[in-house]
Amino acid sequence: MKLLDKMIAPLDKALERFDPVKQSEKGTGGLRDRYYDKTGVAKWREWRGVKDTMYDYCAWLNNILSMGQMVASAPLPILKGFWEYRWMGSYLGTFMFIDRLFEGYRGPELRTAHMNMHAIVQSLTKKIAFGLKNDARLGGGPDTDKIIPYDETISPLYLKGFKGLYPFPMQTLPEFIICDIDQHIEPYYIDVAESYGLAADVCSRCAAETGVAIDDAFLKVGKIMLSTNMPCNASESTSMIQRRRFGVPDFAVTLAMQHNNPEALPYSRATLEAAIAFVEEHYGVKYDWDEFFKYAKLMNEQNTIELEKWDYFKTPYSALCGIAETLYRLYEWQSVNGQEPHFNKNDRKVLKIMRESYEKKHEPFGGKTRHRAFLWGPSAVYYCDFPTWVQNCWGINIVLNMDSTMGYNMINTEDPDKAMDDLTKFTEKATMRHHAVGGWENYNAVWEWAKNFNCDMVLMNDNIACNGTLGYHALMEEQARDLGFHFIFIEHDLQDSRTISRQDMRNCVNKYMSVVLNETPLDPTLVEFDDSDAY
Amino acid sequence: MKKFLKLFLKILGKVLLIGLIGFVATFTLYITNGENKLIYYVIRPFLNKHYDSQVRDRKI
Repeated sequence: MKLLDKMIAPLDKALERFDPVKQSEKGTGGLRDRYYDKTGVAKWREWRGVKDTMYDYCAWLNNILSMGQMVASAPLPILKGFWEYRWMGSYLGTFMFIDRLFEGYRGPELRTAHMNMHAIVQSLTKKIAFGLKNDARLGGGPDTDKIIPYDETISPLYLKGFKGLYPFPMQTLPEFIICDIDQHIEPYYIDVAESYGLAADVCSRCAAETGVAIDDAFLKVGKIMLSTNMPCNASESTSMIQRRRFGVPDFAVTLAMQHNNPEALPYSRATLEAAIAFVEEHYGVKYDWDEFFKYAKLMNEQNTIELEKWDYFKTPYSALCGIAETLYRLYEWQSVNGQEPHFNKNDRKVLKIMRESYEKKHEPFGGKTRHRAFLWGPSAVYYCDFPTWVQNCWGINIVLNMDSTMGYNMINTEDPDKAMDDLTKFTEKATMRHHAVGGWENYNAVWEWAKNFNCDMVLMNDNIACNGTLGYHALMEEQARDLGFHFIFIEHDLQDSRTISRQDMRNCVNKYMSVVLNETPLDPTLVEFDDSDAY
Repeated sequence: MKKFLKLFLKILGKVLLIGLIGFVATFTLYITNGENKLIYYVIRPFLNKHYDSQVRDRKI
């Protein structure tokens, strides 16, 4: 390997002038120079040095291969899906999305980032092919009636006790994942919902889901729907509209909101048990604990590895950081949830790189990190590539995001009674209930998280349409001052980028860094630019 | 043996040539960001035109 490095060193030196990171160091350019204005379309791909460019090229080929496999596995349903669903067209933006996410990444952090992203691409492409192949609207398939549709904010692990049935998160494909890839898709569905009289000041995530339902753009699969009370009152409202649209028997999995109180556990457990009984009744399949334990073991391993990763996150030598960590953990926890063994395999490989990088005391991003931040940020941070931008522009390393802190308790894999208690605690700690709407303690915990991960900064996304978070704003500002954290509120309108643009979000950080901290950007081309027409 | 070696080298040469052409073609597409330009300027506008003309079964 060292010989290879020596061989390519002269070539690297000769081509160094094309590397935007080097350009910004020398003041001759930067990461934003290679884009056409507004569109976010790059004139050419980022030159990262010979080795890293080749690695990025291979990762790109690998992702193309996965997409090719998806089309080959169900060519007609995929074509029909592209023709039927507007949101399917947005998935074509995936390559641009991945390029944006890993701008400025080099060496081990580039490798772990691509490994994590490829695991997501593999999983999503399979999910899309499976969903479309069995979509009754497109003709249906052999597994249409074996699918258990559920609200994506419920963790699906408990449904793995039904052998031969397939849990399917209904909102993930048309709403949740795709809003990260294409910021222009959800405003269309929000407008559909508002044209039917829905108020414009509700959470845009719930509005978008409602729009997907009204526009008849959900897949038609399964015999029932497992809806939920998460994450808030707007979500309950969209669940009700979706329920009418699906037109199948519905069971609302309403776990306790104030779940941190142990007295809530029996109530949440009874709800989960009732949901299991509901599935048994409608599908005629008995719950199989041995089958469940198989997947619980996979989830336990995922969480065990995650806890070891956290030890590295606490140091300056973590090869996994920023968006590669946050987006992966969100997807792995909420959508995979122990169901896909290839994620365990990927976790083991990534952990190996992290261990090696720690041994070598490798600092990511060329050691240019100035601040370590704990991020409290939902979807809006993904479509604006926030963790990547904030590192490249201001040297703020996002060490951990709120999504990474979801249920990490271990689940008993021998005794069904004990397992049920563990599973209930685990399921309660899912998206949103564990974050904005499950009680003040969850919010207040950001200081502990930040302190434990040696962060000097907390970045908090402020969803302007979230009634739950609006009341906390002033309290959080006050606490940050008392505790001595650098603290930035980043306003956004979640899935509606028209209200607060990506540049408006970036300006929240620009102002704090330049006015309050009097710092200069690492890459001046990233401070202000127009990407309003970008996906 | 000589005949086999000759055949082997011939096949190997062809495989390498195909590999080289494949690499040059895909790497050119990659570095010029070709597929994204095609998607952004051609495919998506075409698909959006189709989506805008769809009559959806809208109801609450």
